[in-house]
Amino acid sequence: MELQLGLALPSNPTSKAFDLNYYGIEANSKEVDHVIGPCYTPSYENINDIINIDNNNNNKRSFGQAFENSTRDRVVPRTLPLLLWNNNRPNEEDDPKDLENHSLFAANKNVGDGDGVVGWPPIKSWRKRLCHENQVVRAWNNNLMVENGYVCGGRRASNSMYVKVKMEGVVIARKVDLSQHHSFETLTDTLMDMFRKSCEKNSNNYKLIYQDREGDWLFAQDVPWRTFIRSVQRLKLLKSSG
Amino acid sequence: MKMMMGSSFPEEVLEHVFSFIERDKDRNAISTVCQSWYEIERWSRRRVFVGNCYAVSPAILIKRFPDVRCLELKGKPHFADFNLVPEGWGAYVAPWIAAASSAYPWLEEIRLKRMVIPDDSLELISKSFKNFKVLVLSSCEGFSTEGLAAIAANCRNLRELDLRESEVEDLNQSSGHWLSHFPDNYTSLVSLNIACLNSEVSFTALERLVGRCPNLRTLRLNRAVPLDRLAILLHRAPQLVELGTGEASDLRPDVLSNLLGAFSRCKELKSLSGFWDVAPGYLTGVYPICPRLTSLNLSYAATIQSSDLIKLVSQCQNLQKLWVLDYIEDLGLEALAASCKDLRELRVFPSEPFGVEPNVLLTEQGLVSVSEGCPKLHSVLYFCRQMSNDALRTIARNRPNMTRFRLCIIEPRTPDYLTLESLDMGFGAIVEHCNDLRRLSLSGLLTDRVFEYIGTYGKKLEMLSVAFAGDSDLGLHHILSGCENLRKLEIRDCPFGDKALLANAAKLETMRSLWMSSCSVSFGACKLLGQKMPMLNVEVIDERGPPDSRPESCPVEKLYIYRTVSGPRLDMPGFVWTKDEDSALGLS
Repeated sequence: MELQLGLALPSNPTSKAFDLNYYGIEANSKEVDHVIGPCYTPSYENINDIINIDNNNNNKRSFGQAFENSTRDRVVPRTLPLLLWNNNRPNEEDDPKDLENHSLFAANKNVGDGDGVVGWPPIKSWRKRLCHENQVVRAWNNNLMVENGYVCGGRRASNSMYVKVKMEGVVIARKVDLSQHHSFETLTDTLMDMFRKSCEKNSNNYKLIYQDREGDWLFAQDVPWRTFIRSVQRLKLLKSSG
Repeated sequence: MKMMMGSSFPEEVLEHVFSFIERDKDRNAISTVCQSWYEIERWSRRRVFVGNCYAVSPAILIKRFPDVRCLELKGKPHFADFNLVPEGWGAYVAPWIAAASSAYPWLEEIRLKRMVIPDDSLELISKSFKNFKVLVLSSCEGFSTEGLAAIAANCRNLRELDLRESEVEDLNQSSGHWLSHFPDNYTSLVSLNIACLNSEVSFTALERLVGRCPNLRTLRLNRAVPLDRLAILLHRAPQLVELGTGEASDLRPDVLSNLLGAFSRCKELKSLSGFWDVAPGYLTGVYPICPRLTSLNLSYAATIQSSDLIKLVSQCQNLQKLWVLDYIEDLGLEALAASCKDLRELRVFPSEPFGVEPNVLLTEQGLVSVSEGCPKLHSVLYFCRQMSNDALRTIARNRPNMTRFRLCIIEPRTPDYLTLESLDMGFGAIVEHCNDLRRLSLSGLLTDRVFEYIGTYGKKLEMLSVAFAGDSDLGLHHILSGCENLRKLEIRDCPFGDKALLANAAKLETMRSLWMSSCSVSFGACKLLGQKMPMLNVEVIDERGPPDSRPESCPVEKLYIYRTVSGPRLDMPGFVWTKDEDSALGLS
């Protein structure tokens, strides 16, 4: 139900009962340069000028060295979960403004969210907040056995609260179940144990930071546990310089 | 049929005839018949829909249609819902309201989606339009309860105030009390949706308002209205047709019985929503009205698990629309398929979208069951973690009447879990069998092949969403060259670059908009497109600084192309770059 104010009608760009320019509609009548390509027609012939395409319609379809990855129906191994897959260089900073991050598409190159993918899965922010709150409340209710807690009928959904943890300098990230912890002490102990093989033994050499719901990175020790647990999205252990 | 010249019919007769023609497409068509019909039509057009607020300017609109009563505007692109559009991009409605305030004194309805509306504009609305009746703000932002207070205080004829999913700032002074700004002699409220408001509203004011508005049909409360007060409101408004509850985590028998009593008096109630943090025991209060329900939104109800959901939906034989969390699981969807033969629309949202492991037993099977059991099902939004080509083929064959099919397999590039192949064939079956498909969202592992199918069969497709799919420009070319009715195309994280875009440049003028982010389009191509296609605004959204500081072949972050008759917009923020940014080219 769109307003079509003198714009080219989709099916027949040339037929008009009268010149809409006469009525003061700002239609621009400049010709489209043919360098771009003629008005769209659904055929391959137009694109041939620009892309070298094999028009035989057989199974092999390669065009240009730039597109040698073109494949069809190949059997692929099961994709690794995106959240763990880390194609970045080991010491890559999670700085969204880093200009070196501009290479060609790759799922993990979305900036602004650390190692996560911005805007995926496609659910609205307020729904995401709701999900997160519910996760936390469920984890709490399990651990603290709140007296007046609500009664859940039926099969319970999982109560764990796994978040991703990355240690600076270590390529492989880990996951930790935050619902098992109630203080930073136990959490850092567990984390250091997790990364035992990859790092220095002394936990004092690492600072724990977390990303909150707004996407900001904060020092975990700066906030009370309660605040932390309600908004943490992921964790990082940074080497603290002396 | 004898042809009558336009001039032999008095204008009033034509105007009267035209008053029966409401659809925009039809009115556009009659406006092209001849000059006099064009004139009569434009003076008599009362309802205008602008799908992209930057496609036309207020001045152009007012010049052509001098007496509009209902205005609908949409602003930001759809992907703004998922935080892909940076803050400050645009979609400011203030200039529209300012222009309308002097040009359209008889304006009655304003509907906005994804726009920024400040309190000043709300106040201006409340004071400029004496007969103002309907305000719908869908996913909007920029305003506070102060603005709402102005609407309440000044719009004597207000029928509908609907804030769906907007972000409203609660200012402490008027928090909750904006409702009391409705004067005591104000009685015309028909629909009120404040579900998105975070803080409390004054219950006394709410109760009095509900009590004195006999035509109130829709009441969607926000979370802060406790369930124990709901019965009071229902007693005041037993004529309600649509209700959204607040939250109620403590199950109290007296509250439950009050609720049962109140619901039993609401003979017209057909639509329910809300249920935040609801103790499942309260659901029994809803059972008596289940058989009458046509619409049920339980997608905020994270406390209700599969067995309770099954008990509930099994009693809703007349259900047409269900929005629910994936707690319903495959078993619940089977029950739905068995009980709700009138189901038209299903949306299943993920309860734990960021978990890597599935937390519920919801698979492709649930959707297959519903597609088998519900012959009228035509609109689907489904989040799940696994899918197969077989399932998609079955769904396609079961439901050739599908018009909207949005599937989100949560992990990008997930293959068919049975064969480990791509899902090209499955989605191909969807477009091939569902000839009336207007909207499609893809996910999972997909090659260029799927786009070939879409281009071949998706002739009625109007909106397509693509993510993490395809192998090359050929994919994009298939879409742009094949989908004749395509209006909106949104793409993220696909290996589509300059070639397909430039080869199909003219196609872009036939569409409302194209969004591409994290693809392989270069700034050079964007500039070229902008220069050669003056009817398009080609906006590069890139927060990394001037595109000139990077090689021309470097891909842009985000790209938003839309057709327009009003030229480049004047309110672009610093991170939006167009062809005019390059000093060498200057203004063309």
